[in-house]
Amino acid sequence: MSTSGSTFRIDGRAAMFAGSAVGVLLVLVYVGSGAGRWFDAALAGYLIGVLMGVFAVVYRYLVWIQRPPTARLNRRGWESFRRKGRVGHNAVGLVGLVGTNLLAQGFIRKRSTARWAAHQLVFWGCLLAAAVTFPLTLGWVHFESVGQQGSHYKAFFFGIGTGSFSATSLVGFTTFHLLNISAFMVIGGVLIFLFRRTRDPGALAVERSGDFLALAGLFGVSITGLFLTASTMWLEGRYYAFLTNVHALTVIMGLLYIPFGKLFHIFQRPANLGVHFYRAEGARGVQHECRECHKPYASAMQVADLKEVLPAVGFDYRDNAGGNWQDICPSCRRKMVTAAQVARVGGFG
Amino acid sequence: MGSPLIRGNMFVIDQSRCIGCEACVQACEECGTHRGESLIHLEFVDRGATPQTAPMVCMHCEDPTCAQVCPADAIKQNEDGVVQSSLKPRCIGCSNCVLACPFGVPKYFALPDQMMKCDMCYDRTSVGLKPMCASVCPSQALWFGTPEEFADTRRGELMFEFRFGNQLVPTKVATVVNDRSDGPVDPLAEPPSRWQDDPFGLEEAFS
Ligand code: SF4
Ligand code: SF4
Repeated sequence: MSTSGSTFRIDGRAAMFAGSAVGVLLVLVYVGSGAGRWFDAALAGYLIGVLMGVFAVVYRYLVWIQRPPTARLNRRGWESFRRKGRVGHNAVGLVGLVGTNLLAQGFIRKRSTARWAAHQLVFWGCLLAAAVTFPLTLGWVHFESVGQQGSHYKAFFFGIGTGSFSATSLVGFTTFHLLNISAFMVIGGVLIFLFRRTRDPGALAVERSGDFLALAGLFGVSITGLFLTASTMWLEGRYYAFLTNVHALTVIMGLLYIPFGKLFHIFQRPANLGVHFYRAEGARGVQHECRECHKPYASAMQVADLKEVLPAVGFDYRDNAGGNWQDICPSCRRKMVTAAQVARVGGFG
Repeated sequence: MGSPLIRGNMFVIDQSRCIGCEACVQACEECGTHRGESLIHLEFVDRGATPQTAPMVCMHCEDPTCAQVCPADAIKQNEDGVVQSSLKPRCIGCSNCVLACPFGVPKYFALPDQMMKCDMCYDRTSVGLKPMCASVCPSQALWFGTPEEFADTRRGELMFEFRFGNQLVPTKVATVVNDRSDGPVDPLAEPPSRWQDDPFGLEEAFS
């Protein structure tokens, strides 16, 4: 299924960096949890899942960013961003792009509003859930009851007390139900995605097995989480122990799946912002003219970049006359292929 | 020779038979995998000099240049050799594939900020149906069927190889040539001459 054709080998440097990331995280857990004092032992399984997930994501990211085309784009994107005299302008642009592209995801809306709504629900639902669970799992946030009634709580962040609230107040209710809210958002989004799939046979045909797995995983994590709440609120805690294990298992499997499956796009997508700066920089610079029709068709920078990337991934489009097939615009390429084929059958018709 | 077949069928493009009717351009838009956007290319080779038109679909290269230059790993090849359009969550719209494909196939769309390309109507061909374009092409420039059907109804030989400078590009989609032994289709090669400059050796005799 892969197109790289390279044999599998461990990338030592990437593994080292990934290991360091895990180390840094462990130090933060130690510090944030007051040397383990506020660490919730019941969440140990999740912590291990998070550490393995972090290792795998960092490793995969580093391997990915080293592929010749990715490395080139990464370098060029930052170069374009830091271009003298444009840093201020670009920084403002970056804030805008993060808002419109990464958060509001307007580009998905251009394809379909329903798809966009589904994606937004899943995206914000997951962000919310992560914002709640990660600090709890890592021991960075914990709650202590205040006074004698047992209905007032105080939240601590890295051991530092923040506001206190009553469990029965709106703030208290929302705080303790944030995960349920996020679960409803994710399930809503997943259902819209699934519904759209059933009505779109075209999408189904090009579906990759991992696509469905990602949705099933998101659904599994959310629904088992909701079951936990249901068990406490309406079943006097029946099945709770069993449900916790099932929920923990789905979450840990989900964390481990991130770097391998469809969800890795979360980390790849920001490269799109680099493309925006690369494109703008290319448009300001010299344009490359087609060798055949002499019309400009791309930035000279990108054509030059490709001429260096192509040999690195195993292609040689140079010709004996000192030229390069890559100097010809896509339209002329198509016409020349046709002309060559026509010549091989002895003419038109 | 040639790549594995899709359910016993193969896709053949014989540009020389194209009459420029644009039926394929319309049909392509109806494809279930990219509804509303036509991804096939059709243009005149040189309007002033010849009526020849140039249709182009994805040739589904054995080692796809488009996928290799993609920084986002957004282009995947299925086990059956079909090179899929960009994976929407991944494609970051850089246009590397658009510029690098030796056949000039991928198209960049500004509004979704993504690339889309011909995927041989995977919703259809994966279940044995003809691609949209081949189902409407009146001149059989775009043709889909079994090797036996081809042998029975068409002349010429199938060619699954192209050459661009030093680069040999084997493809899953075939084109048609008179004589396969002349080697891959090579747009940069001198066109084989169909007449002789000095058929009776007169110049040589009198020089
Ligand atoms: S013809 Fe172009 S788009 Fe199709 S597989 Fe080959 S390189 Fe990719
Ligand atoms: S436009 Fe998309 S599919 Fe094409 S090379 Fe760039 S990221 Fe890959």
